[in-house]
Amino acid sequence: MDIKKVLNEVTKEIEQSSSQQELQNVKVAYLGKKGKITELLKSLKDLSLEEKKSSGSKLNLLRIEVDNLIKNKFNDLKIEEINSKLKNEYLDISFPPPNSIASKAHPISKTFDEVITIFGSMGYSVAEGPDIETDFFNFSALNIPENHPAREMQDTFYIDDKDKEGKPYVLRTHTSPVQIRTLLNQKPPVKIIAPGRTYRCDSDSTHSPMFHQVEGLFINENANMGDLKGTLIEFCKQFFNVQNLKVRFRPSYFPFTEPSAEMDIAYEIVNNKIQLGQGDRWLEILGCGMVNPIVLENCNVDTNTYQGFAFGVGLDRITMLKYGLTDIRSFFSGNLNWIASNGFTIGEF
Amino acid sequence: MKFSYSWLCDHLETDKNANEIGEALTNLGLELESLTDYSEYSKFVVATIKDFRKHPNADRLNICKVDDGTNTYQVICGANNVKKGLKGIFAKDGMYIPGTQINLKKGKIRGEISEGMLLSERELNLSDDHEGIIELLDDFENGTSAVEALKLNDPIFEIGITPNRGDCLGVRGVARDLSAKGVGKLKPLNFKKINQLEFASPIIWNINNDDNSCEYVVSRYFKNVNNSKSPEWLQKKLISLGLRPINALVDITNYITIDLGRPLHVFDADKIGKKLDMRLANANERILALDNKEYTLDKNTTVIADGNNALAIAGIIGGDLSGCTDDTKNVFLEVALFNPNSVAQTGRSLGINSDARYRFERGLDKNMVIEGLEYASYLINKICGGLVSKNIEAGKLENFEHKINYNFDYFNKTIGLELDPQKQIKILKDLKFQINKSNEKECEVLVPPWRNDVKNKIDIVEEIIRIYGYENIKQSVPSASIEEIDKIDNSSSNKKFKSIKKLKKTLISNGISEVITFSFHSIRAQEILKGDKSLKISNAISDDQSYMRNSMIFNHLESAELNFKKGFKNIQLFEIGPIYNSSQSQENILSLLISTEENINSIYKSEEFNFYSLTELTSILISSLNFDIKQFNILRSTSNTYHPGQSAELLMGKKLIARYGKVHPLIMEEFSKLKNCFAIELFFENLPIDSISRANNINILDSQFQFSEKDFSFLFEKEQNLYEVQRYVKGLDKNLIKNVEFFDLYVAKDLGDDSKSVTFRVTIQSKEKTLEEKDLEQLHKNILEKVSNKFKAKIRS
Repeated sequence: MDIKKVLNEVTKEIEQSSSQQELQNVKVAYLGKKGKITELLKSLKDLSLEEKKSSGSKLNLLRIEVDNLIKNKFNDLKIEEINSKLKNEYLDISFPPPNSIASKAHPISKTFDEVITIFGSMGYSVAEGPDIETDFFNFSALNIPENHPAREMQDTFYIDDKDKEGKPYVLRTHTSPVQIRTLLNQKPPVKIIAPGRTYRCDSDSTHSPMFHQVEGLFINENANMGDLKGTLIEFCKQFFNVQNLKVRFRPSYFPFTEPSAEMDIAYEIVNNKIQLGQGDRWLEILGCGMVNPIVLENCNVDTNTYQGFAFGVGLDRITMLKYGLTDIRSFFSGNLNWIASNGFTIGEF
Repeated sequence: MKFSYSWLCDHLETDKNANEIGEALTNLGLELESLTDYSEYSKFVVATIKDFRKHPNADRLNICKVDDGTNTYQVICGANNVKKGLKGIFAKDGMYIPGTQINLKKGKIRGEISEGMLLSERELNLSDDHEGIIELLDDFENGTSAVEALKLNDPIFEIGITPNRGDCLGVRGVARDLSAKGVGKLKPLNFKKINQLEFASPIIWNINNDDNSCEYVVSRYFKNVNNSKSPEWLQKKLISLGLRPINALVDITNYITIDLGRPLHVFDADKIGKKLDMRLANANERILALDNKEYTLDKNTTVIADGNNALAIAGIIGGDLSGCTDDTKNVFLEVALFNPNSVAQTGRSLGINSDARYRFERGLDKNMVIEGLEYASYLINKICGGLVSKNIEAGKLENFEHKINYNFDYFNKTIGLELDPQKQIKILKDLKFQINKSNEKECEVLVPPWRNDVKNKIDIVEEIIRIYGYENIKQSVPSASIEEIDKIDNSSSNKKFKSIKKLKKTLISNGISEVITFSFHSIRAQEILKGDKSLKISNAISDDQSYMRNSMIFNHLESAELNFKKGFKNIQLFEIGPIYNSSQSQENILSLLISTEENINSIYKSEEFNFYSLTELTSILISSLNFDIKQFNILRSTSNTYHPGQSAELLMGKKLIARYGKVHPLIMEEFSKLKNCFAIELFFENLPIDSISRANNINILDSQFQFSEKDFSFLFEKEQNLYEVQRYVKGLDKNLIKNVEFFDLYVAKDLGDDSKSVTFRVTIQSKEKTLEEKDLEQLHKNILEKVSNKFKAKIRS
């Protein structure tokens, strides 16, 4: 018996198998129960011990080799088969998808979030108040009596409905009424911010009948104007992400604060763009001051013990400055193109 | 408030330049809004058109030969007033033209070289006039600077005056404040009192008002005056501020209004009666005012009247018929103290913003009544001649006296800065406050009469720091205490904002963009969505913004339509914000709108968006708030915003948690461009804040034992609430029934009109062992029996 001959024969048959079935047939023909190699192995029993030894090990090697050849061929055939199947599953990968637009958060949302976080790190918790306010909360409690010229500073929307005092409701012209609501509700120390919608009847590219403000209020035994200054400078540094920030505090007037101040940030124009922080031009950022004792007394706070400061920041304005946006009207138009170009993705928000 | 540098110097002796003064004004709280300084215009010079000819290639252009004193230039000019010998203002190649904001470049215009430009007033930002080039009337030499030729050497300040600083509505008041800041020395007023008051005024006063709207009035009668053009110095002053000179008498009153901040009025004495009244107007009384408009007055308006006729609206505006003209021979001057409140009220209700009203409603310096009278008399007498009467007055001029007890420590405590009492006193004295008694700790401060805004000791602190300088306030580093951090952690508003952020993230990751729309509703939206009547805005800007919204859906449909017009077919947007139930109730909700088009894309064909897609999205949103949609009661929505058959409401007890569905076709008729619109309204404020704000940590217990699935089909009554069935099945064995998933619904004629066939799959798994067949069979049987009994359902398989 020539092992080499059998090997040649079986190798040829394996190679010629073109399907897994054919190969299976070859496997049966050689390694099956009645296969040629199996038969040869069976026939060993008739041989002498000497021959058994030499032929047996050769035959075993043959069996292992054939087995491997078949296994490899099986693998090759499987790959071939899948590959030929895949050929029929080719799609036109270049067929363009329908247009889609990135879904994003509104820039004001991002600002709200940052404002809450930054002031949160300074110990301010969030407070809220309604948009439709009474004359008392929006004006008189804040030391803005009727016929006071300060009322003309703010073009007020009135509502066709009257409060308990018989005065028409107003759309709050600032977030400051939340100061009063909070002070009437909780005893000092009070340290809150109140972000929200505000309204004035004014409409052009820099004024919108609806806009956003955040109010801040800190009342305790000794909060002073130096603390106010430090707080607002720190806020601006963090919000605008400018460490080297040139600011200016200058006297101003709000009936509910005394002394009152406005804070400006220096800027310069670099490549036709506003760059905040340095330069010799100034941008008004916010109004602030020490809470007028009259206001504290209106809220039954003992002014011999307590004092503090308040501030109000236009959120649309600082958002526009931070991101170089120019027309406030586009904020509220619901234009998805605008949101896609100026909003924030989930990762950025 | 506008004034020129030279005008300021009438009152202030200073060596500071305009920029330095501008900075000092801002630091005083008199914010410099603009400083118009034309010194850079000295580069533009006077030049003469020596000759000109028509441009060969352009009808309207001329080729001019222009001489600027040094050279002759060829200039192409399109102005229609080009003529030989005209003297204008010339700009050379390379110069920046402020009005057009461009740098001039030498070049060819229609083939002819142009080496410069003759300027119009608009090109110099002097006015809007662009009718022609500037034509100088005086004979300046060529090469003279434009600053000199156009008399632009007097910088103009414009400052913002806050409502408390009525004292700075006159140039003198501004000068006084600057002098306190150390910018210069206040000069004494430069006029002589008239000593010869020869006769009694033939016109007399009577104050007859019920609401004290006039405290005091004083007048003089001027006989035989000669009213004509004002002298040049006066005209120039008014022109420098953009005011038009009228005649000497009117110009004098305008001048004093600006100079001293003291409004006063002159009547033509021959056009009024002999007995003047200060009285309340009759209802519907009319007056033609100096602004040429007729006003209808009411019973709250104080008027100056003779007999029956209203002559002027007190403190606001004079009447046209009694005004002074060039022919005026006799004049009656009126200087009064009107009540700021009534002037403000009248001014507002009539909508008149006059210089007088502006000043009266801020309160005037009482001492300036007589000073104003004397100053005006002096100027009238000097400019118009004639004789001056004795004073005629009515009412009583009370002395202004306001004392404040002030302790020096109060400054330190408020500002956080130690300032020596002597320094504090010095500042107050510089501001002309009197210090009556003082010791180391406190003093008594007497407020000057022009500072009626200084009422309490905190106002004294402000005065001191204003002059001392806000830049000297030392900033301290803010920090948060443990108690404050604790408060933040427990604040329900903070929690709410946290949940809102979570919700927003979920929405954005689902491909929905955030918008913010106005809190308003149009009249139409109000009608359709039936908002509460108390939401009407009395003084709305437009019909589109007439009400406060009781829903956001209308706004979002408008946004969708806008985006549709921009080419978007599938629009998905949301807003989290307030809606208003009445003037006294608002809530923050999430409102989401999805507007879909018919899908024409055969390749990327996704399922048509429908009510069930919307339910799935609602479920995702509710999950992000740590709730499960199936734990709520579900009802058909009765809201007329939605399709009655394709909308739902989720309730927790009686609280509405969500409402969603297809937008009602009647509403869609308003938005003809849009096809299928779906909305979700999530009333997240009705969910317990502590549950929705905690971090998402849904506890899914993982079991390692084999699970089994079994499908059940039942025939239910048509309106059977399947959420209930689901909850019931799940509750049958809380330990073993892991999941109940509904996946088929069949409604057809053959089942009858009242039934629906529903199939669900129950997943059964134990946490302790692999269940045996008999356990499973028992459970299956149990489900079949219990469900069919409980819901009167027929078993289908």
